[in-house]
Parts: sequence; C-alpha cells; structure tokens
Amino acid sequence: MSVNQTEILERALKREKAARKAAEKILEEKSRELYLTSQRLEELLDEKSSQLEGIFENILDAYVVIDLKGDFIKFNEAATKLFGYDITRDKINVTHLIHKEDYQYAMSSFLDLQTKGFFKDYEARVYTKSKEVKWVHINGSIVFDKNKKPIAAQGIVRDITAQKASAEKLIESENRLASLIVNLDSGIVLEDENRNIVLTNNKFCELFGIDANPKDLVGMDCVAASERNKVLFKDPEGFLNRMRAIDLEKKVVIGDELEMVDGKILERNYMPIIIGEKSKGFLWTFTDVTLKRTYRKSLEAQKQKYYNIIANMNLGMVELNNNDQILMVNQSFEEMSGYTEAEVIGKNARTLFSSKEGAGLLKEEREKRKKGESNSYEFEAICKKGKRRYWLVSGAPNYNLDGEIIGSIGIHLDVTETKNLEFQKEKLLEKLEKSNDELQEYAHIVSHDLKSPLRSIDALVSWLKEDNKGKLDAVSLQNFGLIETTLEKMEQLITDVLNYSSVGAETSKKEDVDIETMFNDLIKILYIPEHIIIKKCNVLPVIKGDKTKLQQVFQNLISNSVKFIDKDDGNIIIDVEDLKSHYKFSIQDNGIGIDKKYHDKIFKIFHSLKKSKDSSGIGLSIVKKIVNLHEGEIWLDSEPNVGTTFYFTLKK
Amino acid sequence: MVKKLKILLIEDDMIEIMKLNRTISRLKLDHTIVEANNGEEALEVLEQKDNLPDIILLDLNMPKINGIEFLKILKADDVLKYIPTIILSTSNNKKDLLECYKTGVAGYVIKPLKYEDYVSKIEKLLAYWSVNELIVV
Repeated sequence: MSVNQTEILERALKREKAARKAAEKILEEKSRELYLTSQRLEELLDEKSSQLEGIFENILDAYVVIDLKGDFIKFNEAATKLFGYDITRDKINVTHLIHKEDYQYAMSSFLDLQTKGFFKDYEARVYTKSKEVKWVHINGSIVFDKNKKPIAAQGIVRDITAQKASAEKLIESENRLASLIVNLDSGIVLEDENRNIVLTNNKFCELFGIDANPKDLVGMDCVAASERNKVLFKDPEGFLNRMRAIDLEKKVVIGDELEMVDGKILERNYMPIIIGEKSKGFLWTFTDVTLKRTYRKSLEAQKQKYYNIIANMNLGMVELNNNDQILMVNQSFEEMSGYTEAEVIGKNARTLFSSKEGAGLLKEEREKRKKGESNSYEFEAICKKGKRRYWLVSGAPNYNLDGEIIGSIGIHLDVTETKNLEFQKEKLLEKLEKSNDELQEYAHIVSHDLKSPLRSIDALVSWLKEDNKGKLDAVSLQNFGLIETTLEKMEQLITDVLNYSSVGAETSKKEDVDIETMFNDLIKILYIPEHIIIKKCNVLPVIKGDKTKLQQVFQNLISNSVKFIDKDDGNIIIDVEDLKSHYKFSIQDNGIGIDKKYHDKIFKIFHSLKKSKDSSGIGLSIVKKIVNLHEGEIWLDSEPNVGTTFYFTLKK
Repeated sequence: MVKKLKILLIEDDMIEIMKLNRTISRLKLDHTIVEANNGEEALEVLEQKDNLPDIILLDLNMPKINGIEFLKILKADDVLKYIPTIILSTSNNKKDLLECYKTGVAGYVIKPLKYEDYVSKIEKLLAYWSVNELIVV
C-alpha cells in the first residue's frame, strides 16, 4: 500500500472522524432537545391528568365507574364515603347496591343506558355497606374506546336522602292539613277568581245537604250552586244578595248569621287569601252555631226563670262578696229587713244586721263559706228601725266560672213567730216544771202539816193514859186504843198520798234492772204465810227502768194477792211472755177475785175494795202509774171466788 | 261522865214543846231546856254570848224564818256555827235532808207518830250528845 494511499486513507479517516464527531454533537444536541421536549410533554400530560383527577376527586357528588359486568372499577372520595366501600379492596357489583323495591326501576334504567347510551334523573334507594338505605339521584352514561366500542359506564351519584325525607314530611303535613280541612267542623269553600270551587270539605256538603264527595265538587261553579242552595235559607234572596255584595267587595266579612229553613243557624265568614300580593282565591266558611245560639237563648230563659223565682219567692235572698258586702238582695229581703236594695248595696252585712252577740256567729259562718261549706243557722237580726227579728239563714258559697269562691248566697226565712212560740214553749215548760216542783213541795208540806196534829193527838192520848193510870175502865182504855189505831191509819193514808204524788215527779234515770234477781230478793223480805206457795214459770228478764219503782210494782201486786187469798192452799203464779217491744208479766192468784164492774175502778186512787187497816186504796193506782212510766199497760182477768190474774207490760 | 246539857229547842208547836219537856222529866234527865217559838226568838236567846246552849234542836217547819234559813244564819256566824244543831222534822223530804246536811247539821231526826217512839229517839239523842266533848265558847 502506497504512502499516498495511506495518507489519503488517513486524511479520509480524519475527516470521517471529525464528521462523525460533529454528527454526534448534533445528535447529542438534538437528543437533548428531544429529551427536553418529551420531558415537557410528560409534565403536561401529568398536569392534565392530575387536573382531571382533581375534578373527580374534588366534586362533591360521588363519581363511579363500572365495567360492563357491573363491577365497580372507580370510586371517587365522595363515592367511597357515600357507599362505605373501598373498591381497591372490596369487589362490588352494582346489583348489590340496588334496593330490592327499586329493582325493576333499576333494570329499566340500565336498559336505557344500553340502548340510548345514558340515563338521567334516576332516583332510587340504595344500600350502603352498613346496610343503611339512602336515596340517590344518578345521571349515567356509557364510556366508549376510540373505536366507539363501549368499555364502561360512569355515573354521578348525588345523596338526596335528606331532601327526600323533608319532601315526605311536607307531603305528610299536607295530607294532615287536607284531612283537617276535610274533617273540619266548619264547612269551607275555597273558590278561585271565577268563583269555581278549588277546595271544599265534608262539613260543607253536610251543612248544605250535598250528597257528594268534596273532591267531586272541585271545579263546580259557586254562583250556580248558590242559586240552587238558596232554598235552604229562610230568606233566599237576602242570602244571594249578601253573597253577591261580599263577592263584589272582596273584603273580610266575619260573623254573618244565616237562618236556615230547618232551623239551623249558620255563621258565615269570608276572607280573600292573598299570598304575597297574589290572590290565591277566596275562602268561605260556614259554622253551625245553632246549639250555641239556642244554648244562649235557653240560658237566658233559665236565668229569667230563676230570676223570677228569686224575685217572687217569700224567702229573702242576699248575695255577698268575700268582704261581706251586699251585692244583691231580692224584694222579699227588702220587706223582711225594712231596707230598700239601694240602702244596703255595698254595705257590710255583718255590721248592718248583726247585734254584738250575733257578729261572732256571722264571722264563723263566713269562715265556713270560705272553706266551701254550706249550712243553715238561726240568727237574730236587727232590721231597720232597730226591730229585732229571727232569721233562719241557709248559706252557701258562691263560685265564679273558675271555681273560685267569690262570696256567698244566703236564703233568709223570718222565723220570729216560730221562735217566739219556741220561747213561749220553753217558758211554759219552765213554769210547768216549777209548778210541778211546787206541787211536790206542797205535798210534803201538806203531809207534814197533816201529820203534826196526829202526832200531837197521839202524845196527848199517851199522857192521858199515863196520867190516869189505874183510873180508867176497860172500855175507855179500848177507846184510847181505837184512837191510836185510827191515828196510824190516817198517817199511813197521808204517806201513801205523798208517795203517789212522788211517783213520776222525780226524774229517775233508767238503768238495766234484772227482774229475776230483784224478784228473788223481794220474795225473801215479803211476808208470805205458810199456806201460800209462790211459783215462777220462767226466768224473768232484764228491763230498762227504775229499780225501786219496779220492785214496788211486784211488791204491791204480790202483797195484794197474799192479802186476798181466802183458800187453804194459796197459789201465786208469776210468768212472763216476750212480746216484740215489751215483756208481758202476769201474777195469778186463787184469791177472792174481783167483780168485773170494779176492774177499771181499782186502778183509780182511793178505790180500795176492801177497806182494811193496811190498805189505803192507793197501791194499785201507784202500780198503774209506775207501769205507765215504763210505757206499759196494766189490766186484769178475774172471777169472783176463783182468783185474779194481773197482767202488765213493761218496755224492753 | 254524863254531861248536863243546855238545850235550845226552837219549835212553834206548843204540844211539841210539852213533849220534849215531858220526855226529859219522864227520863229523869238533868238537862236544861231553853224554849224559842221561832227563829227570831232563838236569835235573841243566842245574843247572850256568855250563856250559849250546848246543842240546838231545830224544827224545820216554822213561820217567819224557816228552819233552813235559820240554820244558814247560824252557820254564817263565827261563834254560833260551832253549836251542834239537830233537826227535828216531820219531813223525810230528800231535798230538805240534803239541804240540811249541806248547810251543816249534826243530826236529822224524824218525829215519829207514836209518842213512845218519840221518847225512845230523844233518849238516845240526848244520851249521845251528853257523852260528846263540845266546844265551849
């Protein structure tokens, strides 16, 4: 190889080297440029995608993407929050979320999505992960690739649970309102500008006798209807004219009264309904006030009736307030008291009518009224001109509508006459008691005065005998003896009279007397001759009475029997029989008997049938008196020479 | 020792006075009887404070001042109230009896019908008071 050749080759190589170096440099620059560009592009891309990402992540509504099988492939933060699922971990299919009641609706919406490529305003319920039910609003669309092939579906999901709930509440309250209106106790009609019915209710139909559902009346012309309904009113033309006038005025009318043919009275109100400048119609209301009106009328009539009674009754009536001030009196009270109503109104009843002694009583009575007690009492009133009268007052508290005591009402009856009679009776009783006492006293004095001479005679006779001892013959001595016996008899008589007058004069207290014991004790002290046997058939009862007096009864009757038994074998039989309110005792003997004609006489004072030393004839009259004192009777059965049975009853 | 009593008898009935006197002489008792026919007379007798009776026998039934009234006058007196006063009465009226004992009597004797009974009662009464210690004023 030549040098030239080598040189040429070497030079060429050098050039080549240099060129390559330059090319490399350019390449290097270009590649640097390229790098920078791509670097910038990448940054741009990143920027864009993160921008987009930010939009999805940051929109308030949930954003979801599902693949064609319905599996979720993307949830934004709001979606994760809404559904509670983390789809990076949970594999969730859209069907899991659909509320079972909305399934049909969901399926039809999916169909829309497939055919039209989107759906809008889908509102349905979904389940969250915690099985909570939420209302959601979804707009969805299909996602296509560059070949227009569907690869996924995306959706914006908005939580409308709260909104839905308030909407439901609104409907509910609207329903309530509607049902309230329908069932209102007043008939209402809401009509529009053209007087067509917008709303009415049951009561309206009832009041006007319309046999229809209120809903069916909507749209009906009120003018025509009222033409038909006018016959229901007592004054049909008046009804129509007034209605027209109100309609023309379009101003609130309250409290018109309409009398209906059937006697009902309706109160009619009218008011335009304006909501913010805009007329919403006109409301008529009809209320049945018949009861209220008739109630007021009957109340009025009742009031009048009672007013008449009060005004015309013969009893004085006074109404007082809590301070005893007179609020009202009736005419009778005016007559009773001598004051006119004008003179007493506002005056204190207590100071006006009561004496000093009576004031305390009235105060007491006032306290009773304050406690709500009613009662009656007697009161000595000082009338006009100082006349004193006795009033029987029936007082009762007076209440207001709230049940508070606001005073009292007193009905007064003048009982002065009765009271005077009562006083008179008391005086008479007192006098009677006194004269009884005096009589008793008198009996004692008389018996004392009668007995004194007897004593003196006895002393004188004794002295005559004593001073003439041995000088008197037998006949004289016998006569002296007779004087003494007569004196004794006389004294006994006086004693008996005194005893008789004493029975019943002393007010002895009644106690339980065991007749059985008393009788047994009595038998021991009485003189019973040996030929007489006393038999007792029953146990004698316990009686309420005076023991001494009851004993006197038995003693007298048994002594009588003993005295008058003339048979060799005397029998006295005591028995008792239980009557309802009394006991009937019997004392039977086999003595001389008593003739029928004397049966009444023997109980009268001084009617002894057989005068004897120890019989003054007062015994049986005392017995009768005692029996009568014990609310009993005494009678007898007797046959001369066979015997006598005395019967007497004593109250239990 | 049997005391000799000075007895004031207040009695309006003459025979009753005779009865007491005769009884005392019949029983041979040595008592002195001062007679007063009514309360006023008796009060006059009782004026002599240095010669007061040991006991008083008082009839309830007297004119003018009656027995109970007289008794009350007696009991109201600071000195005379100490003289034992025995009622002699026909009345066994409970009211009188109660009233007498309430006012303050030393005894209450009913005058019996029979003279013999009277003698026996008076004998016992005087025997009782003649053995009693009495306040000497």
